[in-house]
Amino acid sequence: MEQADEERLNALMARLAEGDRSVFHEVFKRLWGPTHRLCASLLKNDADAADAAQEAMAKILQRASDYDPTRAAAPWALAIAAWECRTLRRKLTRRREVPDLDSDQRAGEDTQEELVERDLVQSALSAMGELSPTDRDTLMATFLDESPPVAGATFRKRRARALGRLRDAWKRLYGLD
Amino acid sequence: MDSTDLTRFERRARVGYEFARLRRAFVGFAPLLVVIAVAVALARHPSATAAFGLAAFLVGLVLLWYGRDVRRAVLPGVTAGLVPLVLALCANHVHHCTGDGCMMLCVPACAVGGLAAGLAVAGIGNQRRAGVAFWLPASGLALLTGAMGCSCVGYAGVVGLGLGYAAGLVPGALRRIFARTS
Repeated sequence: MEQADEERLNALMARLAEGDRSVFHEVFKRLWGPTHRLCASLLKNDADAADAAQEAMAKILQRASDYDPTRAAAPWALAIAAWECRTLRRKLTRRREVPDLDSDQRAGEDTQEELVERDLVQSALSAMGELSPTDRDTLMATFLDESPPVAGATFRKRRARALGRLRDAWKRLYGLD
Repeated sequence: MDSTDLTRFERRARVGYEFARLRRAFVGFAPLLVVIAVAVALARHPSATAAFGLAAFLVGLVLLWYGRDVRRAVLPGVTAGLVPLVLALCANHVHHCTGDGCMMLCVPACAVGGLAAGLAVAGIGNQRRAGVAFWLPASGLALLTGAMGCSCVGYAGVVGLGLGYAAGLVPGALRRIFARTS
């Protein structure tokens, strides 16, 4: 997504959060593609991806009024979509369980979930691997809630820059534009 | 997913968006239900108080659900309306409300409360340089909230509230008109 498109989406999302219904269609149109692509890349199954994308879009638009205009709209929406994919995957894994499964099969399903989990973590780490050590340390300190090694304002600036670079790396690796 | 399915899904998502806004508006405005319950419990004519309270709640709910500029009028409107409501309820409990007693205390309390509410709404409206989208809903909500207390004296109380409110708006409106012409 280009910078101008991102800014346009942020503005549209802010208007929708305020209750401007005239932008609903455009927000939907702009978010559907990236959401569907993210679900397809995470679930690797067209039908499941379509289901998850629909669920995710419904959730994103239901939460549109909670959108904080000071934050970027696309990562906010895609985080909801990623969570929805995770939920659907868990649901599918659970549905496949039958009462008379023998322990080997059960273990296999647990392993499958672990593999999926590992796949996601691997993807995130690959994107992190593209970053400089400073960016990586900054993000790790943020996610682990550690006390920052530098002053608050500097740390916030570093974190914003690191998150921007992580987003770019993710786009480059997984083609989510 | 073809375009027909997508259009149908978009329509469903729109319904979900509207329901979510309504739910959010309800949760956001629910504290007024407590105010209404207290007012009904203290009022001498609970049915009139409940009717005005319900009207105020529905108006506020619709404004919050709709959003945009009118949403910003809800809090100032209700807060301003609390002044005549509290004054009227207090006046009502200071004396036994019958005939002349009401005219002596309750009606002036409503008028003074209305005046204060009008001044408050006008002050906020001028400060924000707000348009009709603020003045109308804020006035409606302030009057409905105040009327919950003033209805105890019948029409006289509500009319007193309205007149006081209108008087309160006059200085703000004049300031605005003069500021525009100069």
